[in-house]
Amino acid sequence: MDGILLRPLPYDDTSTLMRIGRRTAHGDDAAFSPADFIDLKHDASTLALVTGFREDITDVTGSGDPVRVPGVQTTAPFFDVFGVQPLIGRVYTATDAPGSGLAVISEGLWDRQFGRRADIVGTHLRVNGRPVEIVGVVPGHFRHPLKADLWALSPEEVPQSPLPMEGALANREVQYFGALARLAPGKTLADANAELVAIGDRLSREYPDTNAGESFYAERLDDFLVRDVRTSLLVLLGAVGCVLLIACANIAGLMLARGLVRRRELAVRASLGATGWRLARQLVTESLLLALVGGAAGLLLAAWGVDLLVSLAPDSVPRLDDVRLDWRVASAALGLSTLVGVLAGLAPALQSSHPQVNDDLKDGGRTGTSARTRLRSALVVGEVAAALVLLVSAGLMIASFSRLQAVDPGFSTSSLVAVELPLPLARYGEPDQRRFYQQVLERLQAMPPTSRSAVVFPLPLRGSSAGLTYEIEGQTYATRSAEPHAELNAVSPELFQTAGIRLVRGRTFTDADGPDAPPVAIVNERLVKDTGIDDIVGKRINVGDWITVVGVVSDARRQSLASPPQPAVYLPYTQFVLPFMGVMVRTDAAPETVATTVRSVVREMDADLPVGEALTIERIIEQSTGQPRFQTSLLIAFAALALLLAAVGVYGLMSFAVSQRTAEMGVRLALGASPWQVGAMVMRQGVWLAGLGAVIGVALALVAGRALASLLFETSAADPTVFVSITALLLTIAALACYVPARRAMRVDPVRALRAE
Amino acid sequence: MIKLRSIEKAFRHGVSQTFVLRRVTGDIGEGEFISIMGPSGAGKSTLLHILGMHDSAWTGEYWLGDEPVHQLSNKERMRLQKQHIGFVFQSYHLLDNLTVYENIDLPLSYRDVKKADRQGMVADILDRFSIVGKKDLYPNQLSGGQQQLVAIARAVVAKPSLILADEPTGNLHSEQGREIMELFKRLNEGGTTIIQVTHSEVNAETATASSA
Repeated sequence: MDGILLRPLPYDDTSTLMRIGRRTAHGDDAAFSPADFIDLKHDASTLALVTGFREDITDVTGSGDPVRVPGVQTTAPFFDVFGVQPLIGRVYTATDAPGSGLAVISEGLWDRQFGRRADIVGTHLRVNGRPVEIVGVVPGHFRHPLKADLWALSPEEVPQSPLPMEGALANREVQYFGALARLAPGKTLADANAELVAIGDRLSREYPDTNAGESFYAERLDDFLVRDVRTSLLVLLGAVGCVLLIACANIAGLMLARGLVRRRELAVRASLGATGWRLARQLVTESLLLALVGGAAGLLLAAWGVDLLVSLAPDSVPRLDDVRLDWRVASAALGLSTLVGVLAGLAPALQSSHPQVNDDLKDGGRTGTSARTRLRSALVVGEVAAALVLLVSAGLMIASFSRLQAVDPGFSTSSLVAVELPLPLARYGEPDQRRFYQQVLERLQAMPPTSRSAVVFPLPLRGSSAGLTYEIEGQTYATRSAEPHAELNAVSPELFQTAGIRLVRGRTFTDADGPDAPPVAIVNERLVKDTGIDDIVGKRINVGDWITVVGVVSDARRQSLASPPQPAVYLPYTQFVLPFMGVMVRTDAAPETVATTVRSVVREMDADLPVGEALTIERIIEQSTGQPRFQTSLLIAFAALALLLAAVGVYGLMSFAVSQRTAEMGVRLALGASPWQVGAMVMRQGVWLAGLGAVIGVALALVAGRALASLLFETSAADPTVFVSITALLLTIAALACYVPARRAMRVDPVRALRAE
Repeated sequence: MIKLRSIEKAFRHGVSQTFVLRRVTGDIGEGEFISIMGPSGAGKSTLLHILGMHDSAWTGEYWLGDEPVHQLSNKERMRLQKQHIGFVFQSYHLLDNLTVYENIDLPLSYRDVKKADRQGMVADILDRFSIVGKKDLYPNQLSGGQQQLVAIARAVVAKPSLILADEPTGNLHSEQGREIMELFKRLNEGGTTIIQVTHSEVNAETATASSA
């Protein structure tokens, strides 16, 4: 919570550091086109500095083996917007001219790749085939955007497109980069948003074909970075709160038991003149000491646990580098321990601080008073309720995650390995790209153990995507903005068979669909359904150019398992090649073997081209579901802890109740009760309290479910199966926790119990 | 009614053992009112608990009517106890969280008596003991004498043929003690066999026989 949500970003005045977004006519978040960005930058007086950036896999060559690192191409004021000071050298600034070939590297890359060489500043390297000069190194904490290692100044006024574009700076159709800004002095977020809306409206009017219905907006960068994980973290905070409440109830139960055992001592103190306040103070002090010792032990454990937690968290969780145990967290933990100590000790202390001196001195507390019994009962009810909330939450997450895991992605996932093979634009023009991928494919298909291979963009579930708007012959739209949207795929003919995507109608691509052949496309069933054109094969689709649809294939989830299949257009890579395609290989061999094979094939063709990691589709799916898996795992861990604590708590409180009522059990047995009747009485009382706790817990879990709803996949926050099974589980555990005390009650020796009086 | 032959109870300490009761033999006839007296630690209460079948760790022969208690299983002893015996304690042992009515009803609830019948039986006892007005009070709202009155009402509600009383007036002042002994006398005159453990010579005189 502290590292990700609460701690300010390590930049100057983060309240004025903005992410600028663009919203399409359909309400989707979208990237910027060059012309829109330039207009916005020119017109926005509420923004002092505006910068564009495009994340890219970056190949660094010219210094030992080529390496592939997460890189960013930015416009000149990028570091000015953040106010970042370099570790050594300098950063490029707004005064540096576009195209001056400057780059800045991270401290991590400086360390790993260049051994912290002081002469790194001024070193000339090739980045994606282009010559650059390293002008500085930024401190390790600066990795924006997500874990970048290299920032290169764009050769143009905007980040350069990965694809050649005609009239690049005037283009409003191709949107491919993000924008950041710093508010002008004295301007607020509201001022900026009002102005951005006005700019968006103006561009909508002036360029209706591309911009109709579109708008711009600003949001704080720190809010944007944690947007996807805020709910998860708040849910986890709630889970920790539940565990803490149960732990408090356990401590309160212990203090209550201790207070009762010490009734005679407290009565003696009271008879000697101690006031109720003084006795309460003594008891609260003891509880406080216990909580502080526990808090200190917890901090020691946390010092080790934080590293473990961070190592288990998926890379997609933002700001993980900022998650650490420091004086802020330690102070908060100790403060919370103090509060817990006081709260957990207060009620028992107040109960015990007014002893009935005469009675307590005589019998030391034969049975609990009704107030004590009520407190004990309330603790059992509270523990069960809190545990149920947490267990139900974990149950919902498990149900959701198992449904996510069971989703059919629409393509075969077994024995399929994927490798990304981006090409540097500077060295590979369009024909070279096509030739390169073609040769890779031919060589791979000739080499065991690859049984079948295809080239494809994008690789499924890897986060890359490209989209386009389209119209089908016979359907016309007023503007391009109004046209429906589809995912764009560039593939080799083998893709469908390799990935197990089924041909529904028409044909797949063939070798005859070459660069000079008539352009062809294949669409998926979802696109057919959305357009309502069942006989789409043979019709033409406009995706910038008119192309004939030759086939329909089954749907596949390309972006994430949780997102339903979108309308998709497949183009043959021989007619539409992209410089960042990958290969998919069907094989029974290990991914490492495939990587070695691909690496050797690529090295033969281009020794300067690094080859990325080879991943099985199962591994990719595992990575893509990292966040829900992590959230679910943590919730399960907290729920298990809560269940254990609640079971121990219920057991402890019921055991204590039985020990306090031993004499009563003896009397009942002496009056004719059978041991079974006495045992059943204890069970009945315990299970009744647990049942009451479960009813309250179910009501609270329904409320908590609302917060959880946005994290659930195809699972209702009031899923009856989860609620019923978890409640049954908890009641069973509670019954087991009561069983041992009940057995003890059954074994009470009436003679001994009565003699004890 | 009761025949005891060589009843013995001992506590074992390693290889040695300490006898609490040694070769206790005697007969108690139906309708008798017996007082057991003796110094502290003589085993009076222990004998009473053996007679009340709360204690099963003893040797010898114990006949209750025609039933050989020493040969019966725990379950059968429990049945016999429920059928014949009511118990009165020195510290009353009323359950604090139950009202007077509920305390008296308790032994009946353990004897599977139907609720309608139980209501009648409890009402009858409340009436006989003149404590109808206190039926909704809790034990801590009663004096010691009143609590022991309720405890005796509870002991007799299931109409036992034998009442075992362990120092029933030990916690009461003399006037309250005298009233309780009068009550025992009336119950005995009604045919109930009573065996009490007492330190009081005066109370022992109420009984038809004493054993020391």
